[in-house]
Amino acid sequence: MAELHIIGQIVGASGFPQNSLFCKWGVHAGGAWRLLSGLKEGQTQVDNPQTGDMAYWSHPIDLHYATKGLQGWPKLHLQVWHQDSFGRCQLYGYGYCHVPSSPGQHRISCATWRPVGTWQEQLSRMFVGGGPQLRNPDLIYTGADRYRLHTEAMGVVELELGIILRRFDKYGVES
Amino acid sequence: RLQRLKDRDAVTRFDREVNRTERHDAPLSLSTRVKFREAARRVRLKTRLQSWPPTAEEAYNFFTFNFEPDPQDKTEKTTRKIKKQGKKDEEDRDGEGESDEQEHNEEDEDKEDLFVIDQSSQDFLEVKKAEYIRYHKRAEKDRKLLFTPSFQTVQTSLKLPENIKPRYLEDEGLYVGERPPVSRTNENIMENRILKAEEKWFGDDGRILALPNPIKESSTRPPLFHMEEDLDSGLQTVYRKAVKSKYANLYIAGTTEPEGDYQLDVDVSGLIFSHHSLFSREHVLGSRLVQLYDQYLSRQNNNLTGHLTDKVAPTMNTVWRLSKYFGFLFLNVSKRTNNIPWYISFGCYRNTRQLRDGEQEKDRTLLKNIIKVWKEIKALRDFQKFTNTPYKLYLRRENVDRVSDEREYEREIMAEVVELEAEKEEEYQRKLAEYKKQLEEWKLWRKKQAQADAEDDDEDRDVSESEGPVEDGPSKPEPPEKPDLDSTEQGVREKASRIRRKPGEPILIPELSASGNITTSDVCPRPEVARREDVARRSLFIKILYNNKEVTRTVSRSLNSDFRVHFGQIFNLKIVNCPQSICLQVYEEIGSSCSLLAQVFVPVPEPSVLTGSGVIEEFEFSSNHRVMFDHEGVGSDVPLSLEADGSNKQILLTSGKVACCVSWGIGEDDVPLAPPVSQQPGGLHSGMGRFDAVSYIGASGLYDMKKIGEWATQSRLDPNDPNNASIMQLLQVASSGEVTAPDYFRLEQMQEEFNFVTDEELDSSKRFRLLKLRNQGVPEFRNYKMVPPFEREVTEKVFQEYEKRLKEGNIVDTKEHLDSHRALVATYLQKIRESVINRFLLAKHHYLLSDVVIEEEIPSIGILGINIFKLAEPKRPLKPQRKERKKVTAQNLSDGDIKLLVNIIRAYDIPVRRPQNNKPGQSSQSAIQSSDWILGQVQVRPFVEVSFQRTTLQTTTADGPNPSWSEELQLPFSAPNGDYSTSSLQSVKDEVFINIFDEMVDKDRGKSINTRIERHWLGSIKIPFSTIYSQSKIDGTFKVNTPAVLLGYSKERGNGGYDTWRLSEGTFITLFITIEPQLVPGEPVREKFDSQEDERLLQASERFEREASQSYPDRPCITTVIDLNGKTVFITRYIRPLNPPQELLDMFPNNPQEAMALVARFVSLIPSLPDRVAFSGTCDLWSTCDQFLTFLAGDEEEHAVLLCNYFLSMGKTPSLIIGTAIPEGPTAYVLTYEQNRYLIWNPSSGQYYSQYDTFCPLQTIGCLVTSDNVYFNIQQYTSPMRVSFDTGKANLWKPFFSRSFSNPGLSSVQPEQLVYRRIDKGAAAELQDRIEKILKEKIMEWRPRHPTRWNRYCTSTLKQFLPKLEMSGGQDLAEGHRHELQSLLGDHRISGFPLHLPFSEIRPIIEAVYSTGVHNVQASNVEFALAVYVHPYPSNVLSVWVYLASLIRM
Repeated sequence: MAELHIIGQIVGASGFPQNSLFCKWGVHAGGAWRLLSGLKEGQTQVDNPQTGDMAYWSHPIDLHYATKGLQGWPKLHLQVWHQDSFGRCQLYGYGYCHVPSSPGQHRISCATWRPVGTWQEQLSRMFVGGGPQLRNPDLIYTGADRYRLHTEAMGVVELELGIILRRFDKYGVES
Repeated sequence: RLQRLKDRDAVTRFDREVNRTERHDAPLSLSTRVKFREAARRVRLKTRLQSWPPTAEEAYNFFTFNFEPDPQDKTEKTTRKIKKQGKKDEEDRDGEGESDEQEHNEEDEDKEDLFVIDQSSQDFLEVKKAEYIRYHKRAEKDRKLLFTPSFQTVQTSLKLPENIKPRYLEDEGLYVGERPPVSRTNENIMENRILKAEEKWFGDDGRILALPNPIKESSTRPPLFHMEEDLDSGLQTVYRKAVKSKYANLYIAGTTEPEGDYQLDVDVSGLIFSHHSLFSREHVLGSRLVQLYDQYLSRQNNNLTGHLTDKVAPTMNTVWRLSKYFGFLFLNVSKRTNNIPWYISFGCYRNTRQLRDGEQEKDRTLLKNIIKVWKEIKALRDFQKFTNTPYKLYLRRENVDRVSDEREYEREIMAEVVELEAEKEEEYQRKLAEYKKQLEEWKLWRKKQAQADAEDDDEDRDVSESEGPVEDGPSKPEPPEKPDLDSTEQGVREKASRIRRKPGEPILIPELSASGNITTSDVCPRPEVARREDVARRSLFIKILYNNKEVTRTVSRSLNSDFRVHFGQIFNLKIVNCPQSICLQVYEEIGSSCSLLAQVFVPVPEPSVLTGSGVIEEFEFSSNHRVMFDHEGVGSDVPLSLEADGSNKQILLTSGKVACCVSWGIGEDDVPLAPPVSQQPGGLHSGMGRFDAVSYIGASGLYDMKKIGEWATQSRLDPNDPNNASIMQLLQVASSGEVTAPDYFRLEQMQEEFNFVTDEELDSSKRFRLLKLRNQGVPEFRNYKMVPPFEREVTEKVFQEYEKRLKEGNIVDTKEHLDSHRALVATYLQKIRESVINRFLLAKHHYLLSDVVIEEEIPSIGILGINIFKLAEPKRPLKPQRKERKKVTAQNLSDGDIKLLVNIIRAYDIPVRRPQNNKPGQSSQSAIQSSDWILGQVQVRPFVEVSFQRTTLQTTTADGPNPSWSEELQLPFSAPNGDYSTSSLQSVKDEVFINIFDEMVDKDRGKSINTRIERHWLGSIKIPFSTIYSQSKIDGTFKVNTPAVLLGYSKERGNGGYDTWRLSEGTFITLFITIEPQLVPGEPVREKFDSQEDERLLQASERFEREASQSYPDRPCITTVIDLNGKTVFITRYIRPLNPPQELLDMFPNNPQEAMALVARFVSLIPSLPDRVAFSGTCDLWSTCDQFLTFLAGDEEEHAVLLCNYFLSMGKTPSLIIGTAIPEGPTAYVLTYEQNRYLIWNPSSGQYYSQYDTFCPLQTIGCLVTSDNVYFNIQQYTSPMRVSFDTGKANLWKPFFSRSFSNPGLSSVQPEQLVYRRIDKGAAAELQDRIEKILKEKIMEWRPRHPTRWNRYCTSTLKQFLPKLEMSGGQDLAEGHRHELQSLLGDHRISGFPLHLPFSEIRPIIEAVYSTGVHNVQASNVEFALAVYVHPYPSNVLSVWVYLASLIRM
């Protein structure tokens, strides 16, 4: 019966090799969690910064969860995409972070990565775009072993999340 | 001086230094050269010491010699001196280095000496004794320099960092390995040495590291070669090309990934006609035979009869045996014993037997029918002397042993008889028992009665008399009849002979083969040959429509004589959009033209149905096209008789079966190209759902076996897949009920222990439910503002309405609709509405950039120029014009932001008060005074009151019949539930009522100075909000809806002036209405809808419309419209002569003019309901006339089409005007040509205007539509007055169908004729009473503080007037009416009026009554009169009259 409000925004991303980025995001919570209101996934606009490196989206997130347990605390997963001058989209990075569990305002930097793929794939990515993507994007937030996945680091997505907890103390969860 | 300094230096130091070097360093490292130099220097020193004071030469040298000073040296020396004084103790160490430097310094000087002075070898040599350093000294020195590690064991604590205990990895269970063998002493020495060297060589256990560490501090990773194949499925990556995002991809559930490479394989294998228009009679019979035979085969396959017989047989045998043994004796026994245990078990047996009998009967009739049809075929073949079908029926006889068969037969009959008798017996016994019981009761009652009677006699006679007849006891029961056992056997035998094979009769097995010969064409008679030729000319193909778009078509195959077409083609459809419908259209091709025969909708396959596993299914289709031939072909939808005498006609429709199979394709690597199984809405990453049970049923569901089972069956788990083994095992355990230790573990298995609350508690939370419902946008809770923070503050009441709606579903509240038919229509309309909304859902999601981003136009040079000119404009122009305002999107609005601005400018020709003759007796007197009196009397003091959403504002009072107010009224607008979205605003049903009142100041003459202000309603206009919203402004002069009779008022006539001629029609008011801020009206749906129209026609119409809008953007031009099924239909298909109700025509058989007016009135009585309100989307759907009459609600277009069609059937030549009018905006009117003048009919009001009528609401004429063509207005003007309606002139009207593109003869979508429901007078009367009751209650409700008295006498008088008004169609009856009333109610001042409305619901009537404000009369002695009259028209069209009057006693 405890409630959790996640109110904030996806501020933007920086450190990617190219600009003109957009982001698909989603919040994944365990079985004990119920979404009362708000959208738990979405996509930002494509931002092409004229100056500077950082692409700003300022995409609002406003979620209200009710939960009967702590397991499966909501996690945020992100996919940063790049839209090139032909209007084609390619994946630039997967990212994941937990929604902070302490109340208050949090500024989160979520580092992203993307699969490297074989040299042939890297070569074709260099020249014709596209790139290897996870066949199963659930991997971003599931705890499977990834040691055999070959990835490279991409940029960082900035998030600002305000957390409001309600009635957690009633169940002995001190915040 | 320098030299001296140097020398002194040397003196003070040098000797000692040399001594020391001699002593220490000489044995170590001095070279002979150094020695030699040293010797030389010593000699020079000697000489220098000797020759002090220096010689002249020396002095000269000293002063003239060019020293090459070394500044470094000098500085060094000075600094060194300072240092030396400071650090005497360091001297010892510095000595060595310094001496070297000194040597160098002196070398320069000594060189000259060496060459100058000639010296002997003796001078260079010196004998020295062997140097020996003593052992002690040496040992001491060595100790200083060298370190010898000891061989003693080092303490562990020394080897480890401080305060850390040794850690033994072996003890921790790690494999460490064997250390290489080293002797203990060596190890100790090594350890000591390492300790001294302070190097990090010790492990955690305090010993020297000798082995690799089993714990890796940095992970190493195996190389990635050759590993791609066996990667975990979750880790696999796919190379995806950079592609443009396909927006439609969003609608394949759950994947925003461009992953959706889905493929549907459509396998169209063939087509079989079960009837075709080209069938000959023999074909008809043949196909019937085939059908029957198929039925027979399938029955044979199921073998239900055999199955049931087997079931029955054992019991039957028992019965048989019993009856055989005991004969009929046992029946008698059973009769006596009364409880026969064995036949109780017959209950189910009896049912089975009945089932078997039924099946047997069916079998037999089927066989009979087969034989009958075969005989008919044979007869037909004989008759026509040729054969068309290859069918042959063989009847195979299977002989049976007659005797045994008979015995079996007898036995069965006997068993049945016995059983039936027993059954009857049982029934009898039961009845008898009941009878006995009743008899007992009756007797008891009799006894009691007798006693009671006796008592009553004594006590009170009155009571018994009054009670006597009431308390009538049970009558004496009748004993049941004995069953008639004799007739039973006869009945059984009759039945058996009907449904069963006779004993000894051979079993007939029909066999159908298609091996017969077909007579060749040259033998056949002419009509048959013609038929065959026709068949040969035809070919068929199938179009495959995916989501209503044609994607492909099969090759066209010619029709064979057996009416089977084989295609055998498989189409792979790569799909992006979510599959909604897959439709196969069967087309028939004759020569070059093709026509649609039928459509077959194929269900979208389950994601698990893959190519290969899908089975070919047969889908039936039929078409209702009427086809007739003059040859042997029987046609379709034509009555056909197969009998010789032409009796027993039947109508056959073209029908058949398409054999096809739709399945999901399989990719190259056996990956099914099907969407995920669980189509949960949304779900960015729900790809896992298809194989992850947790994401499917949720973690908590894992405890629930049932849910898992459900999931397993739904997802069609492969039981042989080792991945699913655990689930399969679990399911097995669950289903068998055994509890064993499961060998699996659960995700979140600790969930239960740590739960705060249970699921039920979470579900039962009202607050959460409220929040969720609000989020889902459930209508009741949409924009629900305040959700309380605490559970206890949420009341149950909130949900009541919602739950009620859920429960009731589509039960329509009849109270609200008052009329069962309208209630039904409302439900039907609701359904259509839902389907329309669903259809538009997709179309609505296609956003353009302009929908999301509002871009200000960059001003061009031209605009700049205009702006410069604007500077010169007068600040306050004489004729101000309204500027375009900025539009506001509705999303950021809240209550109170939106205002409705109503600008009331002026009115014309308002009715004036009639000089009142209060008392009939004084009429002559007042007549004399009248001329004088009128001058002094105010004619009328009108003001306008605008009411909207129960807010009422009014203007000031003006004077006279042609007042000018020029006032602006601001009315607040609030959307339902505070939802200001476009779709919500569109469906606002509220109306703006603009009422004109007369303010009457009533001075009680003579008595006091009390003045009472009364107001009398004079007329009203109502404008729906939706019109204002879609038009964004309404500007013009409108005709005020004045009541037919206005008591106490009269039209002012002949008032002189120039415009008398035009004022004869009624009262008008000039208005301007708009919404502030200007809202953006909803965009029309851009989606192009599919159509059955010819492609060429559609293109032409598109071109026509485009050209029209390019050259004349403000003239509406419609060539195609959307029907209720969402299909595009050419507009002329709507125009077709349709019969008006005969009752209306009969009323004026000789006066066509009157009849037309009456028909128009009938049409206008159908309530109008804008499409955008009805369907809550901006769409314009045209329903056909029969649909319109069924719904009894429609837009202006429907009214116009109906009226136009009526006029057509009445022999006129009307055409539909598509144009714009005030206030409704784009609309449709009807144009007729009568007596050399054009009349424009407003179909929704029933009014007609001549072409030159100034107040005709039609403003622009865009195009004219007749039944065969569309004409677009290309004249200079659009106003009806200046338009020439001569469509023949090509320079005035541009026709759609011209010589270059002629009308292909489009058939109409309208029905051939309309069927009207009879007038139901009873229902109308009932409705009338109900409306009257409701209105009376409402008026009393609106006057909560005053008593409301009803004047019954006046009411009954008024009631009599209403039918007359209806008869006259609202024409002026005022004179006679007034006199009548006046004479009846002489001493009352009466003001009142009749209201006339079409009937749709009760609500508009109440609103209309409320807006007149009759209830607002405050006078204490007021009485009211209210009469309602409902006049029924055919087809349940109702005209409602409400007569309202207030009476004040004088």
